Amino acid sequence: MTISAVQTALVRVQAAMARGHARVTGTALGPHQTAVVRIGFSFTWLLFLLREWPHRRELYGPDGPWSWDMARQLIDGNRAFTALMWSDSGLWFETVYALALVSALLLLLGWRTRTMSVLFMLGVLSLQNRSIFLGDGGDNLIHLMSLYLVLTRCGQVWSLDARRAARRPDGQEPPRDTTGIVLWTVLGLALAWVQLFTDAGLSPIADGPLPGLGWATILWGLWLIQGGWWLARRYAPGEPRTVLDMLANLAHNGALVVIMGEVCLLYASAGWYKVQGSRWQDGTALYYPLHLDYFSPWPSLADALASSGTLVMLLTYGTVIVQVAFPFTLLNRRAKNAMLVLLMLEHIGIAVALGLPFFSLAAIAADAVFLPTAFLLWTVRKATRARDRLAARTVRLPRQRAGEHDERPDDEKPAPTLTG
Amino acid sequence: MAETEPDEPDDEAAERLAALSLPSQLIVAVAVAAVAVAAALHLGMAFLSVAPPNTISKRHGAAMDDYTYPEFERNWKLFAPNPLQQDIAIQARAEIRTPDGGLATTGWTNISAQDGAAIHHNPLPSHTQQNELRRAWEFYLGSHDAQERPNGTRGSLSEHYIRRIVMLRLGPETDGGTVQRVQVRSATTQLAAPPWSDEKTDTKTYYRTLPWWTTTAADLPEGARR
Repeated sequence: MTISAVQTALVRVQAAMARGHARVTGTALGPHQTAVVRIGFSFTWLLFLLREWPHRRELYGPDGPWSWDMARQLIDGNRAFTALMWSDSGLWFETVYALALVSALLLLLGWRTRTMSVLFMLGVLSLQNRSIFLGDGGDNLIHLMSLYLVLTRCGQVWSLDARRAARRPDGQEPPRDTTGIVLWTVLGLALAWVQLFTDAGLSPIADGPLPGLGWATILWGLWLIQGGWWLARRYAPGEPRTVLDMLANLAHNGALVVIMGEVCLLYASAGWYKVQGSRWQDGTALYYPLHLDYFSPWPSLADALASSGTLVMLLTYGTVIVQVAFPFTLLNRRAKNAMLVLLMLEHIGIAVALGLPFFSLAAIAADAVFLPTAFLLWTVRKATRARDRLAARTVRLPRQRAGEHDERPDDEKPAPTLTG
Repeated sequence: MAETEPDEPDDEAAERLAALSLPSQLIVAVAVAAVAVAAALHLGMAFLSVAPPNTISKRHGAAMDDYTYPEFERNWKLFAPNPLQQDIAIQARAEIRTPDGGLATTGWTNISAQDGAAIHHNPLPSHTQQNELRRAWEFYLGSHDAQERPNGTRGSLSEHYIRRIVMLRLGPETDGGTVQRVQVRSATTQLAAPPWSDEKTDTKTYYRTLPWWTTTAADLPEGARR
């Protein structure tokens, strides 16, 4: 290679790095994908909490089989976060359960998405860490994603926040936002109350989600950032606001990469371990779970599925191949999309045949981070049209409907994406 | 993946970036590096936490655990390396004080069968039916040796947990008497190989019977006290 060739290559690398630097700071990538992940996980958790409403006290209540005192002994050892340990009163438990429900609903709708993502995470951790011997793979996935969602700007589209932002004419001063101030103040007071008047013992450096980072630092930090954000938007519209926006984009993009990596790891590791299993090798693996008492809500369906040895063999091998191949198919958009279809179909099958609907919903919500933007927009257009047609047929209020069409052009804006 | 996107937003972002003052540019650059390192570290830890024990994880096991637990644990078993191939049913019986003051022993109640019946034709099984007893038994197995000796706090907690689940299902009064003691056993039955397979499977049921446990008021969860 000549010196000039090396120089050209260096210039190119430099240009690519500058482009990458501009991209990860300038935009929060995959706005539609992160919105779908937000909607998917909050919907799954909301549905789960509603379904378990009659059983909530048995699962997480202070006097369920896994009692408050027993949980206390275990949590003294593992130091996991759960607001349910701050008090053993039944009223407190009902409050936390209700807050978990409400925050899931509001995150789903994208109302005050930033704040709700934090409350959603606290709700998930509080309930799941309170009774760790109740969860399955689906709960685990919700647990991880609730942590990651806090760092993503997942309300940029398909949220009440986005609708509110779109209604504000361009160039207009950001409004004072009384609701936001009230919410921020109430949460600050609540956090102060937790620190001063409960046994929570939130530490600044210990017992947090990451080594050296305690929950006090994280929660107060997020609260201060929220306040700083408001100040910068209102009183420092120039450089400070630009820098904060870039830092938020960075956090979002970092979390998005982690979410994608986590999903790849989930499938890849599941596939790699299966390759080593004798039942996955001899092509009968899927036959067994279909016949377990705890995972066969529809025995006749399981029998029908398992009636053909060839079909079971193809599904068994197919499962392993798709799981092992999935991360590599990301290099090719078409192959990736084909794999996504297969994975989602398989999860729908698992939801019904093995009686694991919440696990499957969570897995599908995680897969959705890889869905192509064009497909997501197409789905939403179809859904909106169907909704409008339905609404027009049931209530004839054409004027009211016409008002809602304003948002559509905003949804169709081409959006930067990581996944094509 | 992103080649098809128009370059305009990038150019705009580059301009905005270039328009910043030097300190701001430095802050952003440091943040880019920090986020890149954090994401790489996090995914590296995630990989090591699901990978089999290896050179790195053996050398840095303590640091890895410190990072992963309690909030970033990944417990996806997902039917690997082999799917579960046996039904484990938990059964319980009670020693009761009869109204005339005598002692009697009830027959075995198959509590897992109650779960199975609740899951049957149920599109949305509850965690109380699908996970509670099943995972409580896993917890018990993981915290006891073959002689049913508990190892530490976890062992005794798991016994307490099983007793409370059993008492919730049996109730404090059963067969017309007050429960004094309970005994639990697991009944493990291997699933037969599929009909097209020539594999011979021993499908006899094997029992693991735990010692009798005296029950106290502390073993009665809400719902068992009426």
